[in-house]
Amino acid sequence: MELLMNGNFLAICGAALAALAGIGSAIGVGIVGQAAAGVVAEDPKKFGSTLILQALPGTQGIYGLLVAFIIMNKIGLIGGNMAELTTGQGGFLLAASLPIFIVGIISAIHQGKVAASGVMLVSKRPEEVAKAMVYAAMVETYAVLALLASFLMVNGLTI
Amino acid sequence: MAIVKMNKISIIGLGDVKTRLIRELMDLGVVEISSQDSKLTDSEWISYVEKDGDESEVLNLEADISKVNSVLVSLDKYDKTKKPMFSSKKTVSIDEFENKVLDNKSIIENVGLVLNLNNNLNELTNEENKIVSNILSLKPWIKYGLPLELSETKYTSIFTGVVPNVSSSENLINEVKEKVNTCFIELINSDKDQNYLSVICLKSDKDEVFELLKQYGFNTVVFKDLIGTAAENIVKYEKEISETSNKKKQIEADISESVQYIDDIQLYYDYLVIERDKLKSLDNILKTNKTFYIEGWLPQKSKEKVESVLKQNECWYEINEPEEGEEFPILLDNNTLVDPFEVITGLYSLPSSSNIDPTSSMWFFFVFFFGMMLGDVGYGLILALACGLVVKMFKLEGTSGKMLKSLFWCGISTMFWGVMFGSYFGDGIVAAAKTIFNVDIIIKPFWTNPMEDPMNVLIVSFAFGLIHLFVGLGVKAYMLIRDGKPLDALYDVGFWYLFIIGPVLLLAGGTISPVLVIIGKYMTIIGMIGLVLTQGREKKNIISKLTSGVLSLYGITGYLSDVLSYSRLLALGLATGVISSVLSIMGSMGGHTIIGIILFLVVFVIGHSLNFAINALGAFVHSARLQYVEFFGKFYEGGGEPFNPLTKKTKYIKIIKEEN
Repeated sequence: MELLMNGNFLAICGAALAALAGIGSAIGVGIVGQAAAGVVAEDPKKFGSTLILQALPGTQGIYGLLVAFIIMNKIGLIGGNMAELTTGQGGFLLAASLPIFIVGIISAIHQGKVAASGVMLVSKRPEEVAKAMVYAAMVETYAVLALLASFLMVNGLTI
Repeated sequence: MAIVKMNKISIIGLGDVKTRLIRELMDLGVVEISSQDSKLTDSEWISYVEKDGDESEVLNLEADISKVNSVLVSLDKYDKTKKPMFSSKKTVSIDEFENKVLDNKSIIENVGLVLNLNNNLNELTNEENKIVSNILSLKPWIKYGLPLELSETKYTSIFTGVVPNVSSSENLINEVKEKVNTCFIELINSDKDQNYLSVICLKSDKDEVFELLKQYGFNTVVFKDLIGTAAENIVKYEKEISETSNKKKQIEADISESVQYIDDIQLYYDYLVIERDKLKSLDNILKTNKTFYIEGWLPQKSKEKVESVLKQNECWYEINEPEEGEEFPILLDNNTLVDPFEVITGLYSLPSSSNIDPTSSMWFFFVFFFGMMLGDVGYGLILALACGLVVKMFKLEGTSGKMLKSLFWCGISTMFWGVMFGSYFGDGIVAAAKTIFNVDIIIKPFWTNPMEDPMNVLIVSFAFGLIHLFVGLGVKAYMLIRDGKPLDALYDVGFWYLFIIGPVLLLAGGTISPVLVIIGKYMTIIGMIGLVLTQGREKKNIISKLTSGVLSLYGITGYLSDVLSYSRLLALGLATGVISSVLSIMGSMGGHTIIGIILFLVVFVIGHSLNFAINALGAFVHSARLQYVEFFGKFYEGGGEPFNPLTKKTKYIKIIKEEN
């Protein structure tokens, strides 16, 4: 119980949750990869365009890492001398990590599904790769917004 | 600028000049011949004309093309010369081209030769596969000492076979030996699926032995046409394999020898494609016994060139403007700066013929936003240099060339924003100075560092978004005025301007001057009243007019979400910057030591390559999205068919006319 009230512990939990957004990216990139491999088996020349589509759901993991990093930076974990946080401050950072944690995972999975359908689109109409990319980017918008929300919250806290 | 004006052309001429005319039109490359299928079902036309074109001849050419293509593919495999990453077309003068094509005997011979070699190679590969599978099936019997063809002696019967490896083979052997004591049975080999058995018994006992074996699932194995022991046969097969692989090597060497003819074969391929296209164009031509009829499109500015060709060939022709509302094929024409960005428009969809070419109003925002989202001097420099050099060195044309030219400008814009944000490989340069040379340098951003001051950059992002949307609305107003509906422009665009700028001033203008708040208030009120009164103008009765008007005010939420969407300009910029600083911190962990410097360099190169790749992709996709969804959504309507003139669509060579 004492640990749960420790501000530093809560802050590290926040950083960990943010980094967990990578789960969604892993699943999303995996879904696209499966679809892409099937298409490339038919036509190896499509490797480039399908690889681009596969990269798209990967960004949520990066956004998560980014928020994790700014939390760690904020509490001085990276510099080596961690600040003593109050329970409130720790809880604040934990809460700030939630947007990118939850939205990141869910949006990456859905973006993966859209991008996988995009791979199918590219297999029939290779010239339409940009449209497939834009469809996937529509989903990513919400991850971007969540990143922004998390970032501004962390940035707003003074320690 | 913008969409090229197209004229409709109808041509009637004598059948004698048809081939020449088509060749000359192809040389000009400015006339699209449109399909006349609708006339073939029109009773007025059908009694006079029939469809031209020779499908079987086209199919023949297609077959030749695919043959030559397969030759080119196989030659490409054995071509040892270094190929550039981006291949550009070889230029060939028209005389040279025609000479080579006229004297194409040796080319055809070479094509046939390579085709033959390919076939032989395939046969040998098949043979090799067969032998390999034979060896595999003989391998288990390698310890079987009797000749395979020996199936009986005077008194005994000799046979071989397999039983599934489910129960131990000892049981089987013992049982057989017990019941038929004259029978010799031996386990030759066994693997995880099967036991391999050799059986010798008296002819009289054969049936009984078979009955016993059957209970264990025995299957006889017969070696057809094989003489000698299994081991001898395997040796023989292995010799054959080495022979075939020698033969294959010989053939491959022969094919490699033919690689020297690849240029001529490529030229021949393009020649066949041109001939095919000429023949195919006949499909869209109508003919009578002695005459032919062509209908199509040509850009207005090429009218005179086409006219002179038609006059020379003594054809009757008529060139008209398209009728009101008639859709015509789309060709975009822009100055050299804007031109590459047509590819971004094309990726969305070409404009319909009643719309407008959005490229000239869109390109600047595309480049500007791309730069803001990548925002790093180092990355911009790499992007601009790489794209610029590739375009210069390989003289790329077409879509890929345009794309690279667009990215070149995006790189320049990225450098600009890098300076504004003070980002040179993030803080990589500062960290490098510290780790490698142990000196402290400070690079100040020209404007502000988005990581320290995100709110300012966010507000500026929204402001850019607002400007972008207003330009989009402005284009819509321009189109309405162009089409003679200035009042609609006022209702649908003007009032929205008031109703968007008004609230912004009302809420934020107070920080600059209280007068702005009052102006904002009146703008809001006028805009609101205007929208309520006009947005329902299509409706019939007064009540539904007003309801539609009031409901239209809800559209402000749409503009709000559009503007919020531009927050990605900050967010993606942050992503680049923060990852860069993570890299710097990771790289600096070793400190100012030899190992530390090596660590730094490794992290720097690998990390920044990855960061650059993923963020450049993100910047491109999201910049395109802002154009396609937010900007085009305000005015643009796609769905135009691209102009597809009869021209020489060559793949390997570029035929140029010699200057006389």
